[in-house]
Amino acid sequence: MMTPLRFQELYEGDWAELQTLLEALSRSHALSRPRDGASGARAAALYRQACEHLALARARSYPADIIDRLEDLTSRAHQLIYQQREFGLGRLRRLINVDFPAAVRHHKSYVAVAAATFVLPTVLVWLLVYSRPEMILSVVDSGTASEFEQMYSPDAQSIGRTRAARTDWIMFGYYIRNNVGVAFQCFAGGLFAGLGTLFFLAYNGAFGGALAGYLTGRGLSSTFYSFIATHSAFELTAIVLAGAAGLRIGHALLSPGRLTRRQSLVEASRESMVLVYGLTGMLLVAAAVEAFWSSATWIAPTVKYGVAAVCWLAVLGYFTLQGRHAG
Amino acid sequence: MSKPERAVVRRDVLDTVAASETPEGILLELRPAGLSARYYAFVVDWVIRLAAMNAAALVAPMLGGIGVAVWLILIFLLEWLYPVAFELSATGATPGKRVMGLKVVMDNGLPVTAAASMTRNLLRVADFLPFAFGFGVVSILTRSDSKRLGDLAAGTLVVHVRRTDVRTAIEEGAPVMPARPLALDDQAALVALAARAPRLTPARLDELAALAAAVSGNDGQSGPAVTRRVLGVAQWVLGRR
Repeated sequence: MMTPLRFQELYEGDWAELQTLLEALSRSHALSRPRDGASGARAAALYRQACEHLALARARSYPADIIDRLEDLTSRAHQLIYQQREFGLGRLRRLINVDFPAAVRHHKSYVAVAAATFVLPTVLVWLLVYSRPEMILSVVDSGTASEFEQMYSPDAQSIGRTRAARTDWIMFGYYIRNNVGVAFQCFAGGLFAGLGTLFFLAYNGAFGGALAGYLTGRGLSSTFYSFIATHSAFELTAIVLAGAAGLRIGHALLSPGRLTRRQSLVEASRESMVLVYGLTGMLLVAAAVEAFWSSATWIAPTVKYGVAAVCWLAVLGYFTLQGRHAG
Repeated sequence: MSKPERAVVRRDVLDTVAASETPEGILLELRPAGLSARYYAFVVDWVIRLAAMNAAALVAPMLGGIGVAVWLILIFLLEWLYPVAFELSATGATPGKRVMGLKVVMDNGLPVTAAASMTRNLLRVADFLPFAFGFGVVSILTRSDSKRLGDLAAGTLVVHVRRTDVRTAIEEGAPVMPARPLALDDQAALVALAARAPRLTPARLDELAALAAAVSGNDGQSGPAVTRRVLGVAQWVLGRR
């Protein structure tokens, strides 16, 4: 007759073997050494057997120590056998070559809505502040306004540098922290049915429009536009893409289709994460360009406009053409 | 097969166990962590991050402009990617969570994926609103699986790591043949009593054993001698003869 003690006696050897195999496998995993095929197959076989034993032990109400032992073994084996790894250079290359531009095309209606939500307030507020320069004071105080004027004046030591920063490197760090933060905020706002995303897009657009309109009115257009022309190809598109990712989430919540609202949200988040990876990379490029190229006073505005045109074409071409034929 | 399933259902009423079924057809038990454990983990992580930022702030100015740039980038990394880096490590937990015995897993109990970890940590901003993690706290308190908004979107759970230090092995003793046939439920109850015996006071153990005295033919009696006989029946059920 099978009793708990007999059961344990019979299979203790197999369980111990599985335990040592699991320890060895998780160690070799950490060092990413090539795994021994035979021991992997043996571990999988022992795991399936341990699952059977656990089911039997539960059905027969065996003592807690046997069930605990088997639960521990099976859950550890389950983690090791079924885990997904999505790191590595190959994954990164695929993201840049195919996944990111394909995701942008796949979400093109969200990108269009996000772009409109960003651009319309920019243009409107630009016109408003350009025609009535005192309106800038309803956006920022007079001290900040005069600092902006100083930052973009032709005799600034480095364009766009704040008073506190002494070098371009400081601005590089500042741009990364600030711009990626803004983009992540735009994305996270999508969780509130997309309203947060729409707000952050419109707010950032309006702020940029106010600044541009004000500086244009003060006659600083040549330094200002030659400054923003190049990095905006990466920066503004990245912000719009963050908005598109946020809107994707918001739309998934509002209109889950045949999924439950939660499944729909999980699905949308996983899909939009490709956009978030890509736009984070774009913002790193933008920060470097903005800190070291856009800010340089020794480069003539015409050169900057030329490079800017190339960058814009490259970005747009990347999104429309890259990776279209890859499976 | 119906009996163990009934046991699981009974526990669901009281416990917040989230069971996940593996392809092999067994149920893995995940124990979602509640607000207090997660709050303390957050505080520990917050202190660590603050210390790192301050240490960097002391060193950065000595390196000039590049030092300040590195400091700003470090702040950015600590703000957004500190949890991601730790959650993707082998332990699946930030230092704060490790201190509290917690880890982040997918809904099915597997290690958290990179995309899921990014999702739950970027959406922390939404949990923070309207202030002091208001939405996150409400979500954790109202859901039986204690997910905050970021966990909902990422499909992740914050669970208590299994404790393996609780001793449940049953000490050896002299077997006693049961005085009557025992149903599976009765057998399980006797074995569970024997497992708990070392952690109970003798008086309480006698009290509990007296309830089961019928199995060893000592109906209506109690005392240490009866307890020994009841535990002896448990030994018999385990397979000692």
